[in-house]
Amino acid sequence: MSDPMAHRIAAATPPALAHRIRGLSDRAIAWVFVAPTIFLLLAVNIFPLIWTIRLSLTDFRTNRPNNPVKFVGIENYRKILTDADTWLSLQATAHFLIWTIVLQVVIGFALAYLINKKFRGNDLWTTLIVLPMMLSPAVVGNFWTFLYQPQIGLFNYVIAFFTGADPSSFSMIGEVGLAPWAIVIVDTWMWTPFVMLICLAGLRSIPPSIYEAAECDRASKWRQFWTITIPMVLPFLMLAVLFRGIENFKMFDLVVQLTGGGPGATTQLVSIDLKREAFEKWRTGYASAYAVILFVTVFGLASIYVKALNKVKDR
Amino acid sequence: MSFSITDPSRRQKWIAGILVVTYAIVTLLPLVWIIATGFKTPPDSIAYPPKVFFSPSLEGYVNLFTSRSRVTPEDLAALGPPATWYDAIVRQYDMVITGPSRYGERFLNSVIIGFGSTFLSVFLGTIAAYAFSRFKVPLKDDLLFFILSTRMMPPIAVAIPIFLMYRQLGLNDTHLGMILLYTAVNLSLSVWLLKGFIDEIPIEYEEAALIDGYTRFQAFYKVVLPQAATGIASTAIFCLIFAWNEYAFAVLLTSGDAQTAPPFIPTIIGTGGKDWPAVAAGATLFLVPIMVFTILLRKHLLRGITFGAVRK
Amino acid sequence: MSFLTGLLRLRRGPWEMLATILIALGVVMLMQPFALALFTWSFPVTLVGTVMFIITSHFPE
Repeated sequence: MSDPMAHRIAAATPPALAHRIRGLSDRAIAWVFVAPTIFLLLAVNIFPLIWTIRLSLTDFRTNRPNNPVKFVGIENYRKILTDADTWLSLQATAHFLIWTIVLQVVIGFALAYLINKKFRGNDLWTTLIVLPMMLSPAVVGNFWTFLYQPQIGLFNYVIAFFTGADPSSFSMIGEVGLAPWAIVIVDTWMWTPFVMLICLAGLRSIPPSIYEAAECDRASKWRQFWTITIPMVLPFLMLAVLFRGIENFKMFDLVVQLTGGGPGATTQLVSIDLKREAFEKWRTGYASAYAVILFVTVFGLASIYVKALNKVKDR
Repeated sequence: MSFSITDPSRRQKWIAGILVVTYAIVTLLPLVWIIATGFKTPPDSIAYPPKVFFSPSLEGYVNLFTSRSRVTPEDLAALGPPATWYDAIVRQYDMVITGPSRYGERFLNSVIIGFGSTFLSVFLGTIAAYAFSRFKVPLKDDLLFFILSTRMMPPIAVAIPIFLMYRQLGLNDTHLGMILLYTAVNLSLSVWLLKGFIDEIPIEYEEAALIDGYTRFQAFYKVVLPQAATGIASTAIFCLIFAWNEYAFAVLLTSGDAQTAPPFIPTIIGTGGKDWPAVAAGATLFLVPIMVFTILLRKHLLRGITFGAVRK
Repeated sequence: MSFLTGLLRLRRGPWEMLATILIALGVVMLMQPFALALFTWSFPVTLVGTVMFIITSHFPE
């Protein structure tokens, strides 16, 4: 409330003094309010992180807790970073990452552009399109294995209907050549709405007066698109790309339910590989070093992300 | 409503509308298929070509909630007529219901863990966000970045030390352990989102209250909280959705007592092949609440998914 | 040119830019399919970039 009287009194009272008389000081309240959050995050994030770093320098195995633990220095890191199979997992992740981002940006931006034409009922359809993104990836991923069944699966049937191929002639999650695309398709289906929503926010942040000015200068629609629309939406697009990049770098639930990393190791993304090392082979020291490598990578990407976030916030 | 030269023409609107609606129909098809499969009989669910029209049956739901065993026709005849409609469905297949399935328990676990962690993370998040929004907290930017970065970490990597720590503390496979873990993960979202909401409440409100003799705490309680109510509600729904959908921690840290629905639903199997109608029924009951929440949340969706950075 | 003087005078902008480039380079090296040696050295590069980012984000604007 911008009551001028209250303003004047507020300005006239030295605030710090007034508060100290009644109840806790501001500084004390700030501490009391922030402390539980920080404490919980220290207990559940930082302490385990330090523990992980310590474990990563040892040959500890969870399934043999009574074995003497040997300090091995950076040996675990050296092993991981020279291991060809781990490298393959990262390449599988790269394939997944690049294609999901490309497809989601292209489709998501196109949808946002169309929705921004403000046809009747666009709000309703936007809400419906967003639905897949909010659902449980594990449950949805599990159901997609049904849609991908040869012969009886809906996906195969629809593809067969449009291409004339035999619906039992291909198996999206069973074939080495198709499985990496099967996971790209489901992730794109699920997360395109995310990119779309952010692009839509970007498009709506462009003041119409800029287009009106361009129209007066007789700039063509094509030129307006490349010199106004794209540059104005770009910071938002960066945000979406970074966020999807980080999320898909650590992708686990959807893919483990869809393919379980197979066939062979064609869809074995880093998180699935890490899960095998840590919770199936129980090579805890080795897996900890692996985890630290992923931590640092994600932390680096996250700092770029926050920078991009602040750039958008200023708009 | 003002029209300007840059408004899209009627024809453009039509084309845009048709394309978007087409995409929406295609993208909703898998969801419709999940719901429809839940009402099919097992033979209908695996028919070729896939059945679009079928006579609905509640078999999937009956199979989802019960465990059954096969009996000989003579034993079945000796049992007399079925007592309930679901008995009747099961007996068509020479089976009898032997008890409830695990699905109810798992669903209840999801509810307990979901609501417990949501309450805690919104409560802690609100007071922390208020402090970050209104007071000079030392190292504010670093703390906020640290809080956000905890959200970005790969769950499998975090689970390695948590697994060891929880084993020491006896928190493995307990509701409390999962609630604390989900609270920690959700705190980043609730602090960032709520800070955005509280930043938007004019500071003059509190100043006026302070002049009126309220303490800082009363001002927070009686002035800021009611103003932030919508923000708090939508933050709570976002936290709930995360805890509800979470799979990686749940599958690694729970196996029995505290297992939630997402790791359980994929393990539903029938006799002789996967019982897809039961899986679909379980998925439907689990997904539909989230669909309703999404529709309720539509105005705040963008804020939620970008940690409050993009407002409109 | 202003980039170099920015570096010398410990300004935030150019140093953050440098750190960002290092992180991005490290991530690309981590996931490229071309040479195992690049994969091996990706982690040190990302680590240096990340640490640099944390430090230099406290430099004055």
